[in-house]
Formats: sequence, C-alpha cells, structure tokens
Amino acid sequence: MTDRNPDVDPKLLEILVCPVTKGPLVYDREKQELVSHQAGLAFPIREGMPIMLPDEARPLGDDEQR
Amino acid sequence: MAGFSAPFDRRRFRLHRARAAADFAAHDFLFREIADRLIDRLADVTRRFGLGLDLGCHAGRLASAALDSGRVGRMIACDAALAMAREARADPRVATLVADEEALPFAPASLDLVLSNFSLHWANDLPGALLQIRHALKPDGFFLAAVAARGSLAELGEAMIAAEAFVTGGARPRLAPMADLRDLAGLLQRAGFALPVADLETITVTYEEPLRLLADLRGMGETNPLLDGAPLRRDVLMRVSEEYRARFGGADGRVPASFRVAFLAGWAPHEAQQKPLRPGSARHRLSEALGTTEHPLERDDKDR
Repeated sequence: MTDRNPDVDPKLLEILVCPVTKGPLVYDREKQELVSHQAGLAFPIREGMPIMLPDEARPLGDDEQR
Repeated sequence: MAGFSAPFDRRRFRLHRARAAADFAAHDFLFREIADRLIDRLADVTRRFGLGLDLGCHAGRLASAALDSGRVGRMIACDAALAMAREARADPRVATLVADEEALPFAPASLDLVLSNFSLHWANDLPGALLQIRHALKPDGFFLAAVAARGSLAELGEAMIAAEAFVTGGARPRLAPMADLRDLAGLLQRAGFALPVADLETITVTYEEPLRLLADLRGMGETNPLLDGAPLRRDVLMRVSEEYRARFGGADGRVPASFRVAFLAGWAPHEAQQKPLRPGSARHRLSEALGTTEHPLERDDKDR
C-alpha cells in the first residue's frame, strides 16, 4: 500500500452527515476534513477514510465558525 | 436500563479492536462462521439491494461476502477502529470509513441494507443504535444482524467464578451483561422495525486447553464486551483452566465454549409491506368458513 492520500469515495460523501447533529458536512479538500458547522467539529480524513468519531474530531476555532 | 452507568468504555473498546486487527485472521473463525450464516439468511430474502452497509465490519469479510453473493450492488463498511477499517479496505470494491455504532454518520433514508456481524452487543445504548439504523434505512430497507446473547460463554463464566472464589475467597460475575432473545426482539419492535424477527443459534467451539479460549477472545477484540473488568491474577487463571476441565471436560479431553448468537432482522416500514388487518374488517364470518352455527355471546354484568 502506498502513502498517497486516496480520495474519499464520492458516493460516500453524498450520504455522510454529522454523527452528532445529523446535519450537513462540508468537505474541505485541502485540509482533508469533513466540517460540521452545526456541531463545531471537523472530522479528519486519514488515508482516504473519514474518521467520523466525535471524540476524535477537531473542535473548530472561533475564526472557523460561521 | 435507566439509572445504570454505561457498561462499556467505548475508547477501550476501540483500543481492543485496533489491537486485534493485525492478527485478526488467526482468530476470526467465529466471524467467518457467522458471516456465512448471515449471507445464507440474506439469500433467503428474494430481493436485490442497491447500497448496503457492514456496520462494525472488523476486517470486512461480511461486506465482501455480501458483494460476492450478488445480492447487493455496492457496499460500505465501517468500524470504530481505524486499523480494522484499513483491513476492510483491502477489498477495493468496498468504501470504508471509521464510525461508532452509537453515533451513525449516515443521512436519513440513504441505505437499502444494513448488515452487522457480531458487533452490536458492544453498544451501551442498543435501542438508540437500532433507532439510528432504522432512520438510515430507506423505506422497505432491510436490517440483518448477529449479536452475542445471554448465555454466551456460560461455561467460562462459571469456571471463572469458581476459580476466583477458590483462590481469593470472593468472586463476582466476569461476563459482561448481554441481552436475552426476548429483550432483543422487543428492542427491534421499539425501534420501529416492521416484520421483526429474532432467533437464536448456538455455535459451540471445543478447545484442548481452556485458556486458548481467552487468547482467542483477545484476538477477536472481544475481551472487554464478553469479559468485563480487571484482568484475572495468574494463579486464578490457572485455576480457571482446572475448573473448566473438571466441570465441562468431555471424554476426548476437550472442553466446549458456547456462543449464543442472536440473529435480528427487520424492515424499515413501507406501505407496501404486509400488515395485520384492522379488527372488524373481515368480509366473511368465521362460522361460515367452519360450517358451524354462531352463538352470540351472552352479555355479562360487567358493563353495568
């Protein structure tokens, strides 16, 4: 297996929601994160796999909140 | 269950699973057996499914088998441990992610099928998990899962209590709480599944050395849900082996370990599904069908 970051399956992105609020997620391709503004959490994508665990998500900073 | 603290530490659960991932193939016999049985049951359903999920997928065997069966168009697999999800991704047909059964990240009515192979007994809030699964299913979507039920590893539980009592003079149950079949059937119904079915199969494995069972449970990542609490002292462990043999050893010198596997199935409600008729909606009299005379009930006095 190579180290390159494979892209997330687009079909998967279509049906994923925030596990906390069940609200929408925004895909930040640059940071490789799925952002839930409602929950104030960014879920990391590692090795092309979304890590949808609330306790492993990055809390959004003030400047990232909308 | 209100008023009880959560029996399972989800972080520890993920840790145990992640630790089991590397050498999972050496200990996954139970998951292979149950996956086969789940696929047999899926084959009995005369339908094809578009998008399916293998929930708590371990190394992803069930997801791959579901695709091989030709019954499912596409499969997603998720596990709470990244190391397991990574194993599942070895099958390039399967889209993988990391997710917890208790906080599902799937949009409402987005899945046609949810399968789960011996994982949901880990959930602290099984009613909540089932409800989330039902919401993630499209109307007329199908849920099929196997979970450990009460009575699993009863031989080991008994041997551990006897051993601990013998060595330390005190003992407490070491098996984690597991639901019985009737509870599980009720939970399916409460979660709003139509045509819910729950039934039990016992899978018995035999061991030459009882302590090999403990090694297998660790290798499966199942140490914590089935075996609860602090590790047993070494002298207690040795005694467990003796008690196990004395109580359950067969003529061939091997001991049995029983897994009670509950199979749960249900459908997300849809208006086309069969339903019971409304009371009073019959078009023909029962007495006509039976060819007998109908005797009206005597009104008793209770309505006074």
